[in-house]
Amino acid sequence: MMEEKVLEILEEYCEEALDYTGDNMMEEGVIDSFTVINIVSELEDAFDIEIDAKYVVAENFRNKEAIIELVARLVEE
Amino acid sequence: MRTDFEKVIVIGYGKATGEILAYTQERQADYGCFLEFIEHEPHTLSITRRICEERGIPFASIPDKRALGGYLGEQREKTLIVSASNNFLFPASLVERENITIINFHNALLPDYPGRNAPSWVIYQGGERTGITWHYVTAGVDEGNIIIQKSCAIGPDTKAYELAETLMNLACEGFYECFDSVLQEKAVARPQGFSPDRRMYRSFEIPGDGFLDLEEPAEKAYRLLRSVDYGKSGIFPPLQTEIGGKRAEILRYRKIAPEKKKEGADIRYLPFSDGDLLKIKYRVL
Repeated sequence: MMEEKVLEILEEYCEEALDYTGDNMMEEGVIDSFTVINIVSELEDAFDIEIDAKYVVAENFRNKEAIIELVARLVEE
Repeated sequence: MRTDFEKVIVIGYGKATGEILAYTQERQADYGCFLEFIEHEPHTLSITRRICEERGIPFASIPDKRALGGYLGEQREKTLIVSASNNFLFPASLVERENITIINFHNALLPDYPGRNAPSWVIYQGGERTGITWHYVTAGVDEGNIIIQKSCAIGPDTKAYELAETLMNLACEGFYECFDSVLQEKAVARPQGFSPDRRMYRSFEIPGDGFLDLEEPAEKAYRLLRSVDYGKSGIFPPLQTEIGGKRAEILRYRKIAPEKKKEGADIRYLPFSDGDLLKIKYRVL
């Protein structure tokens, strides 16, 4: 359920992220910093979580799996 | 194509800087001048270092203001400095050097909204249009002659980071258009017409003084919230408010249809005149 919702948000803001299989979406230009702001805002609202600025780094947005992992961690906290 | 400039230095951070840097490198062969990039304000999501590495552009990180001023002052060649999304204020001694020309991208339609965080102030004040200005840099902040301007509309839901992105795209368009005329020193620049009440926005100033009054109409509150919204970039501290005599900080907000209203802890709803609601999530400090 959580994973589905994350993918739904990704699809809305960055469809290319769904098919991306590498491990650095930022560096490879799949996602940019403005798209990250939108995704973070949607994730916070959808899961009622706070994504602190320290988590908004390229490492946590390297691919869809990393984003799902980040959300799962924050939802558990 | 011919230029007397021997060197171009691009300085700045962010998406527009990366694109301007890449474009300049692509056009470098047309003019044969040397290109280098300086990062003054590192950004966690910056892609300029990668662009430099991929394209073989010399990259230097000079976070210290004095060191940067010193480095630029050492330039002996005829040099064009392209300041794109850059907050470093060039000292008068550098600006006045004969071998140095500096152009800067400002994210507003000068002479309006000079200084810092212009997209925030234009949203906060309810502006319906804004834009970008490429101008020559003089000793006064954002006072130099205008090379090119591009404008855009501001939507009723536009947030500061969205507007910033639009403006960066316009900055790139403007740069591509004026690149040749600037390098060939044929750009027709026009002076800014300053009004006597021109106000300079300082880096420490925050729209609404950083305080959200929940008794204000939703439209006004929404404007303030959108004006300081740069995601997690920390350009502004979170807005504060007062709820039940306690200080609280705003975590997030959203304009929603009334049927999406869900009661919950630390949430306040303000009604818009059109029936929608402004949902505000806060945390008591």
